[in-house]
Amino acid sequence: MGTPREAVFQSNQNKDFLRSAYDAGHVKGWFGRAGRPLKYLGLPAWEMLDIIAWEPFLSRFTTIEREENQQHLMFLQANVQDVEHRLYSLYGEFDSILLSGRDAYGYGPDWPYDLINLDYFGGFIYSNLTRPKAIRKLISNQAAYSQGFLLIITQHLRDCDTIGAKATFLDDLRRSLKNVSTDPTVHVSIDTVLNWYSDSATPDSFRQALYMNVFLRDVGEVEHFDVKCRPAVLYAGTGNSSMIHFVTEFVFRPGLGHKPASNQSLIDIVNFSLLELCDGSFAPPIQHPIIPKPI
Amino acid sequence: MTPAKPPVVRDKDEDLVYAPAILILSHDLYPRKLEVIREYIQNSSDALEAYAAISDVIEDSAEPQIKVSVQGRSVLIYDNGIGMDKEEVAKLRRIAYSEKKAGREAGYKGIGRLAGIAVADKLKMSSTSYGDSKLHHFEFRAKEMREEISENKRKGITESATEVIRRHTDLWSDDIDPKDHYTIVEIRDINESCSQLLDVEALREYIGDVGPVDFAPSFKWGQKVSEKLRQNIPDYSPKTVYISTRSGERIRVYKPYTDQMVIAEPDFKEVTDPANPNHVLAFCWFATKGQKILDKVRPSGKIFTVEGEEPREKKRFAGLVYKLFGFSIGDRTLPMRTLWAKSLTRAHWFTGEIHIVDKDVFPTTDRSDFIESNARKRLYDGAETIAVKLNRLAQEISDNRKAYNDSEKLKQRFQDVRQKLQNGQIERAALKVIKQELERGLDGLRQRADKCTDEEIEQFDREVLKYGRKLSEELDHAKVSSGEKNGIADVASELHMTAKAKKVFQIVMDTLSGHFSDDPDQYHEVNGKITRSLKRKY
Repeated sequence: MGTPREAVFQSNQNKDFLRSAYDAGHVKGWFGRAGRPLKYLGLPAWEMLDIIAWEPFLSRFTTIEREENQQHLMFLQANVQDVEHRLYSLYGEFDSILLSGRDAYGYGPDWPYDLINLDYFGGFIYSNLTRPKAIRKLISNQAAYSQGFLLIITQHLRDCDTIGAKATFLDDLRRSLKNVSTDPTVHVSIDTVLNWYSDSATPDSFRQALYMNVFLRDVGEVEHFDVKCRPAVLYAGTGNSSMIHFVTEFVFRPGLGHKPASNQSLIDIVNFSLLELCDGSFAPPIQHPIIPKPI
Repeated sequence: MTPAKPPVVRDKDEDLVYAPAILILSHDLYPRKLEVIREYIQNSSDALEAYAAISDVIEDSAEPQIKVSVQGRSVLIYDNGIGMDKEEVAKLRRIAYSEKKAGREAGYKGIGRLAGIAVADKLKMSSTSYGDSKLHHFEFRAKEMREEISENKRKGITESATEVIRRHTDLWSDDIDPKDHYTIVEIRDINESCSQLLDVEALREYIGDVGPVDFAPSFKWGQKVSEKLRQNIPDYSPKTVYISTRSGERIRVYKPYTDQMVIAEPDFKEVTDPANPNHVLAFCWFATKGQKILDKVRPSGKIFTVEGEEPREKKRFAGLVYKLFGFSIGDRTLPMRTLWAKSLTRAHWFTGEIHIVDKDVFPTTDRSDFIESNARKRLYDGAETIAVKLNRLAQEISDNRKAYNDSEKLKQRFQDVRQKLQNGQIERAALKVIKQELERGLDGLRQRADKCTDEEIEQFDREVLKYGRKLSEELDHAKVSSGEKNGIADVASELHMTAKAKKVFQIVMDTLSGHFSDDPDQYHEVNGKITRSLKRKY
């Protein structure tokens, strides 16, 4: 099937690379760990390019689509690709479906999932905090089934979205990091690094990358997951819009009364470089000052 | 003087169809909502046929298929048939417009394409044909339209149907790979009252029953019937239809017949024109419920029932059904109403299909019957031979079954008697009754065997007869127990008879013995009756 004009999420070279090389590697790895085809939940747009690319690793797929004609095209695409029987499509806004548990017709996601790919319009934080609440609910639903999963998130890099939240967030993060070590030299480097993050000259993409990864780690740990984040990937999406991409592993740790500590440390996350895709391949990573690991 | 006829005034731009007509058409055509699906399967089937005609030329090896799935409150029908170009999609706006040729394709009236508006708020179609670089979309906002027409009716406004349809439909196109060819129909936002359309199991059974699908490969008789149908029906061409279940499986839809139904071996009947025996009008296959008799499944002579809760549900495949281009016309009562002159009881013993071969017979718009015509009359007259054949067959089945049942019962009785005889358990007093019973049974068996047409059952009857005759001879020469326990002295003693009573009893019995001296069996029978009667009373 070609490309009807209806397409909103048009693919490009960077996106193609992420889907068929970078993400595909993670999906394949998660498939190997699970030892069975993965159940997918996502916002794939009508073309279902991710589903088609990862199809050998998938069992059933639940899609969420908010636009009627797009959903109709998705049904067509599923039939043309011969996967219509594995498709379960919900209709409505992704955030509200996750929060209410029901789509416009009263159908809900078929929890739990192994692979969740949220490729959505817009940034992460809006004034009503619907999106963070929705992600929190998603992680909580997975925890209710004690089900580990691979979460892939792609969103717009919107500078205006998170200025206030990120300022508070960096203060909180500074306190958390300083609680880890009493070593004054470490405290100095924590201040150095976080001052760099706070600096208005620092591109907001670094703040957003850090914010998102720490958010996912925090929420995951509260829900008894051992969370493993990865450096965010920055790339120019359709219409040259700046996109940021995250891949995070959530491994459920059963039988814990307390919040588990992930194997990956908070300092590891703060020290992440930012990966950038240009013309379908990775540019040298952009590295900022790092915090030395306490001995 | 004859008054002059008033002049007929015709306005060229006059609207001849008004909006409420669309509501009537869409609402009243489909009393059974599942019939809406048949309309789209029919269009898909025609599209596959049309594509098959060119697929060899363009070397397309894709499996021609129709796929049905349910998502949310939508039901989707997809086919990879010939597809539609821009002009054809634009014609979807035209109610009852069709370029299909009657007698050549399953659908031809151009109404079924919009059937979805009778059950849903929206109808969406997307289609492209091979060589066309555009994917054409059509949307019909039925709910919006219905609400507007109703509102206008309240206000006393009657608009042209054309205007209303234009306002509530949209057509647009997208670029697409010119090699693509398919059509997808989405009946969206299906009304609550029509939720049956969202029930995958109901859809599967309905499509299997009324659609142009083949027999399941697992069905014992499927291949045989299928081969016969291919040989005798020029356009017999079952389609591959898949349905997706809610649990993520894809199931191929087949006719509903399974081995679990226990079906006896099917038979066939060609229907010819009564006025011209060389003109084949239809070809019929039929079968009855089976029952294992003598290690073989034979017609049982019972109503054709299948699994189900309600009696009506259990009888849903009882009777024959007319098929045209593989699609059912009417339900299973139509052949009963049109071919059976009187009692329908035996028509229910059979299941099967009457495939129409005559191209001059056309279905009514709602597919509940054929349009009244000479061709229909010819068909119904010719097909009465089916009813005659099945009635006669039913009588044979009934006779054979009774012959077997009687033989089986007698055989068991004979075996029982023989066992008792061998064990010396038959008393002299009972011998005559047993002999009489045996003779009556053998007489009945001879009569049944004469009517039996099943050679194996007849053979079985003969064996039982032989066995019975041998037993009869054995009884004639049997050393039966004297019944000493029931001797006069024993009975007198058991009943504490006075000496006088005992003497009277002895006199009576001696008199009877003398009376029946030529027929001792008769004496022993009377003796037995008197003894039993005395024991019962005293």
